[in-house]
Amino acid sequence: MAKEMAMLHDVARCSACRACMVACKQWHNLPADFSTPFEGQYQSHADLTSKTYNLIKMNERTDKDGKFHWDFIKIQCMHCQDPACMKGCPEGAISRLDSGAVVIDEEKCVGCGYCTTNCPFNVPRVDPDRNKSTKCDLCFDRIENGMIPSCAKTCTAQAIDFGTIEEMTALANKRIEEVKKDFPNANLYGIGPATEGVGGTHMMYVLPEKPSVYGLPENPKTPASIDLWKDVVRPIGKIAGVGAAAGIAGLFVLSKMMGKKNH
Amino acid sequence: MLVDKKFVPRHKAGFVLCHWLNGISFLMLFITALPLYDPNYFGFLYNALGTSTLQNAHKFFAVIFIVTPIIGLFIARDGYSMLIGQVLKFNKDDMTFLVKFPGELLGQDPKMPKQGFYNGGEKMNIALQMALWCVLVCSGLVLWLGSGIIDNSVRAWMIPVHSIAAGIGFAAALGHIYLAVGVNPDSLQGMKNGTIKADYAMHHHGAWVDELVAEGKVTKKELEEAVH
Repeated sequence: MAKEMAMLHDVARCSACRACMVACKQWHNLPADFSTPFEGQYQSHADLTSKTYNLIKMNERTDKDGKFHWDFIKIQCMHCQDPACMKGCPEGAISRLDSGAVVIDEEKCVGCGYCTTNCPFNVPRVDPDRNKSTKCDLCFDRIENGMIPSCAKTCTAQAIDFGTIEEMTALANKRIEEVKKDFPNANLYGIGPATEGVGGTHMMYVLPEKPSVYGLPENPKTPASIDLWKDVVRPIGKIAGVGAAAGIAGLFVLSKMMGKKNH
Repeated sequence: MLVDKKFVPRHKAGFVLCHWLNGISFLMLFITALPLYDPNYFGFLYNALGTSTLQNAHKFFAVIFIVTPIIGLFIARDGYSMLIGQVLKFNKDDMTFLVKFPGELLGQDPKMPKQGFYNGGEKMNIALQMALWCVLVCSGLVLWLGSGIIDNSVRAWMIPVHSIAAGIGFAAALGHIYLAVGVNPDSLQGMKNGTIKADYAMHHHGAWVDELVAEGKVTKKELEEAVH
């Protein structure tokens, strides 16, 4: 798959039926996840887990005019163009495919959790039983076989679409024009200045309100600390480590030689 | 009074224990983290012991590393107040010591001013270790327990901070071990039973021995007999 793909969640169309969550579990063979006790809430799980890669968040909100809104948003890996998880992985276990899907190689993963720490969206979850990091893989195996991701396939409201990044951008812009009639703040998240800090994302949203309303970071950034660690701390540490050992060995020999001369 | 007519009592048992706990936990923390630092050279540790084993061991030794000085407040209060008190009393003689120290390091025997319980170099090491303990513990806890509480834009910075502090700490540990094992092997006895040879004490911590004599804890006669 040489083409760069993208997924679009149109928040204005989503009815929060959660069929996408079920489809995701089916395709990835994930077990039921009882991590969140039922206490009368609408949202099924408090957050993403190592068994739940895709979650519909539900939030009740009253705007400044006293108008009630019920916000739904599908959260999962954002498949950044400049993925902080990939850069931060000490094992080189994470890669970005040509399709734009960011995937974890479980063979290489050691479960250190650096991907989670570095992710500006706080997405990857280390499975405590297998000690492997987990997250949405954009159904890269389906994409490579000419299919679309299972969540997009199952969505009945056409709230989740999947196609080339150009197609999705065009569709999103069209949808935003429509949504803007009712929601003047409507915006496209995933392409443009808002997500520039991560190079843009292959998971895009049509948002009726600004990103923070849905819990999305306004300015996600691939942290500069990764470069400091990978390009400076680790190489210098290696040189310093060898240097210190050699220095001490040299000092020992030198002190014996000079000591002898003195005595 | 000298121990066995030859040794000056220096550290109490609780303090000796804390030094072992601190040293072993630091080295184990360093070793269990190595494969994360460079999987090419140290990945064999993951293969041999398993990733979870190493990561859980890192957390286990982290707890020991964190609680050691806290336990020390109960079982080695004197030793720890001495550490802090001495660091705060960095004086002119300590500076002179540091200036002349490279000579001693190269196997010569420069005329040093009399040193107290800790010499200038030891005081610097203590101050550095205290600072590194704070940095390692804070950054480590943020990485370990901070998920969902502290924003990732802050947590991500803890990775290089933790790494750098560990690297500096390891370099200091190498120097510390070298000076003990390679340069002053007589000092090692302090790690075993808390005593050091009388002539070592007089040579390296003269001002402290003078204090002991002044306080009547050790007599001049005893010392002379021990040395000869």
